[in-house]
Amino acid sequence: MKVESTNGMFTGASKYVLDEELAKIVNISMALEMPLLLKGEPGTGKTMLAHAIAEALNMRLIVLNVKSSMKLVEALYQYDTLTRLNDSRFGDSSRDVSNIEEYIKMGKIGQAFVADERVVLLIDEIDKADTDFQDDMLDVLDQMEFDIIEIDKTIRAKHRPVIIITSNAKKDLSDPFLGRCNFHHIAFPEPDMMRKIVSVHFPDISKELLENSVKAFYRMREFRGVEKKPATRELINWIRALESDPDFKVKDLVKGDIPYLGVLFKKSPDYAIARGTVSRMRI
Amino acid sequence: MFTNFFYLLKQVGIPVSPTSFLRLQKALQLGLITSIDDFYTAARSILVKSERYFDLYDQVFAHHFEGAELEEPDEFELSRVAQALLDEWLKNPKELAEALGVDEKSLSKLSPEELLQYFLDRLKEQTGEHHGGSKWIGTGGTSPVGHSGYHPGGMRVGGVSRNKSAVKVAMDRRYRDYSQEGPLTQAQIGEALKRLRNMIPVGPKDQVNIDETIYHTMKNAGEIEIIFDRSLKDRLKVILAIDNGGWSMDPYVELVQTLFNHARAQFKELRTFFFHNTIYDNLWEDPARYRKPFKVDDLARLDPETRFIIVGDASMAPYELMATDGSIHIEERTYKPSHERLRFIAATFPFAIWLNPKMEQEWPYTRTIGMIREIFPMFELTIDGLEKAVNYMMGKNHLN
Repeated sequence: MKVESTNGMFTGASKYVLDEELAKIVNISMALEMPLLLKGEPGTGKTMLAHAIAEALNMRLIVLNVKSSMKLVEALYQYDTLTRLNDSRFGDSSRDVSNIEEYIKMGKIGQAFVADERVVLLIDEIDKADTDFQDDMLDVLDQMEFDIIEIDKTIRAKHRPVIIITSNAKKDLSDPFLGRCNFHHIAFPEPDMMRKIVSVHFPDISKELLENSVKAFYRMREFRGVEKKPATRELINWIRALESDPDFKVKDLVKGDIPYLGVLFKKSPDYAIARGTVSRMRI
Repeated sequence: MFTNFFYLLKQVGIPVSPTSFLRLQKALQLGLITSIDDFYTAARSILVKSERYFDLYDQVFAHHFEGAELEEPDEFELSRVAQALLDEWLKNPKELAEALGVDEKSLSKLSPEELLQYFLDRLKEQTGEHHGGSKWIGTGGTSPVGHSGYHPGGMRVGGVSRNKSAVKVAMDRRYRDYSQEGPLTQAQIGEALKRLRNMIPVGPKDQVNIDETIYHTMKNAGEIEIIFDRSLKDRLKVILAIDNGGWSMDPYVELVQTLFNHARAQFKELRTFFFHNTIYDNLWEDPARYRKPFKVDDLARLDPETRFIIVGDASMAPYELMATDGSIHIEERTYKPSHERLRFIAATFPFAIWLNPKMEQEWPYTRTIGMIREIFPMFELTIDGLEKAVNYMMGKNHLN
């Protein structure tokens, strides 16, 4: 798939396979200037989407990785008191100590606001933060401005960024939050889609390997009792492992002989279950 | 435009807000939507905010725009409707019996399974007779008792009742979306458990304390002295011991596990053990209480700061607690009576508590509850109880 950017509409990127539905939703959200909230199990490409949009529309991507202890103000700006103190003592820097503004550093959201061109702002794993953070953040994103208390200045967004918010499917976010976003749930890709995704990452992959690895992959996702099912990322790494092994033959997969299970199952109980199931399958 | 569609969505129980509907209008005005396919995706992403409602949305959409008949309720949905009916019946047996045209007494004689089956059969008949298999969402409903029976968001948990009948337990076990709706909702639990977070300063000293720094710098006549604080680090370990034996505990096992797994991110470590009725020589790491025993004596090696939370109804025959060989499992031979084991745990972990799904006013009627309360502080397994439990565990900490 090639990089396309026609009329500022998002149609896909070099390493991202986009389904049409999602493309529409992205475009609508951009036109309505609403944040887009993406949910879905890990490995469905929530985060990758933001990268793909940035690439396709030729915009800079700013990523805010949300942490559980994060305060909203950290995402907006930081006042570097220590440097100022240091400068006031030694006075050998080019900064003007009496001007607090020189010691204000923009956080990720702040950077997105003051950027000279339109950027993509990815707010990753919003569900980690507490509800207050979420609601307050949406206020800021709604008004497209925030105040810096220390210098009594309001920062207004020069260009409304394209905002993508991701959340893991476990928790539902608060109603006011949901009310201000567009929503999409990315389902786990169907085998057909998965084949496309794999082909994008491995343009030279043999048809035989593609078919059989994807087939084996979906069979392994069905293993009972596995806590963390392998996702797209694992499949791609697994195929990479298979391809780099000179002794590996696709026939083995057909026989049910599956090497490098550790690439797919990363928790030790899962790994044990997978090994057990695979060896039973072979018999 | 599409107002009917909007109301239909509302009617089937999808929480759609007027604001989002206006937003959809804006999207239409902007000319963003040019085809029915566009409309489908756009309306869904703007109006519907949870994947739980996607299926319902699809049905309504097909019904409204394609003129498709809303799907016949299949087995799965029927049994959900039947569940809800059961629920109704439990609340008001007489009314439902009348509505179904059956004698209340003959209904009460049926076993839970028979009852469900009976409802299912009745429902299928009714669908045929009354509606000829057409729309089933909306005002009509599928049965004479109809509308109230339909819960698109998943099953409700049938409340905690003092007289826990077998029918009720049978219902509990069939809940499909336990984690989504329950007596303790996710939001509440999160709130209560957030307080479990024990912020003891144990991290590295890497946070600058501005006020102190300025103060000390002033004292040094302007010579900068930077004062660091320890950053706060969450180091709370939690052990959960769940009584998963017997019907009396069944509905709560999953609930409690869901609850703590949701909060897992807040803990440094969360271990779950299982036992039946009370604790003897071993706890088990597997729910079947068979493969992975964990010696109670070994608990002494764990961090005593660990919050040890026991979940159980604490109801058993007194000898199970007091006798040297009290276990009701023949294969479990023990050398110390259970109450000694419990005392040992309480002594090892100063932050041990007991959560009881039985309501507090019932406690005086069970002897073993009283005995266990002498060993552990006991709290109800409700939001209130949980909050008290957390406060208790935190309060003690302040004394240190």
